[in-house]
Amino acid sequence: MGLALAVEPPVTAPVLEDQALIAAALQGHGDAFGELVTRYERAVYNLALRTLRDRTEAEDAAQEAFFKAYRALASFRPGAKFSTWIFTICYRGCCDRLAKRKRLSSDELPDRADPSAGPALLAEQNDEAVRLRAAIDTLPEKYRAVITLYHLQGMQYEEIASVLNLPLGTVKTHLFRAKEQLRKVLTT
Amino acid sequence: MTHDDFDDLDRALAALPQEEPPAGLHARIMAATVYRPAPSVPPWEVWLMGTLIALAAWSLWAVVTAPSVGIRIADEIARLVTNAGLTSDYTLLWLAMGVSITWWVSLLSFPSSRRKRIEAQ
Repeated sequence: MGLALAVEPPVTAPVLEDQALIAAALQGHGDAFGELVTRYERAVYNLALRTLRDRTEAEDAAQEAFFKAYRALASFRPGAKFSTWIFTICYRGCCDRLAKRKRLSSDELPDRADPSAGPALLAEQNDEAVRLRAAIDTLPEKYRAVITLYHLQGMQYEEIASVLNLPLGTVKTHLFRAKEQLRKVLTT
Repeated sequence: MTHDDFDDLDRALAALPQEEPPAGLHARIMAATVYRPAPSVPPWEVWLMGTLIALAAWSLWAVVTAPSVGIRIADEIARLVTNAGLTSDYTLLWLAMGVSITWWVSLLSFPSSRRKRIEAQ
């Protein structure tokens, strides 16, 4: 009882904005950049994973994105969103990796895709999340990126357009077509 | 899931949890960024060394590819030797004397000064 009373209520530390963390990181506070990594590593990794469909390569791509961001932190435009910036860096890195892959192999990457991505295996998957992820993996790269950023990362159309360097209308079209294809895959 | 609209699909997508990154990813990122050791040579020195090496390589290439380079180098060395008077017996004698004196002086051991002795005490 006494012990329970002695425990103080948890003090909620003020959550620093990304801008403040960037400013602190630029002043040499490594912990501030570490906090940014903690906030966005999962999202960045998931974007890379959905784009590349390869866990090892997604891990490398996520690390590379943060490395590039850290080196270019001084050039980060004040007022911009760190999330948009890091996603942009990550997505461009993924595109480079995909282009390199295509140069190495003329095939459309079936061997590098997750084994769960095949439509035949989809029917055998009972778990809804696994089925949905596998269905997303069957989409073309441009649709996977839009779906990932819109639904999984909760980004707005404008931010997606900025990350993917696409017109707003194209983002909406890609999203619509991605959903159409997803529905087809899931109902077959 | 209905075929008419995307409501069910939207809900399913919204409920789809993100995958956990590998356990060591955070540590790897930090090791590659914040905890990355600073380079022992600053970048500007690397650039300077690279430029100098490139210049040296270019100069060497320019010399080596010049026509009749061997004869010209031999002629140039002979001209320098003649101009410096290295063919004269007197010059060689003075040079030999200078070298031998320098060598002899270098063998001498001088006692330490008085001031240093006092400091040592």
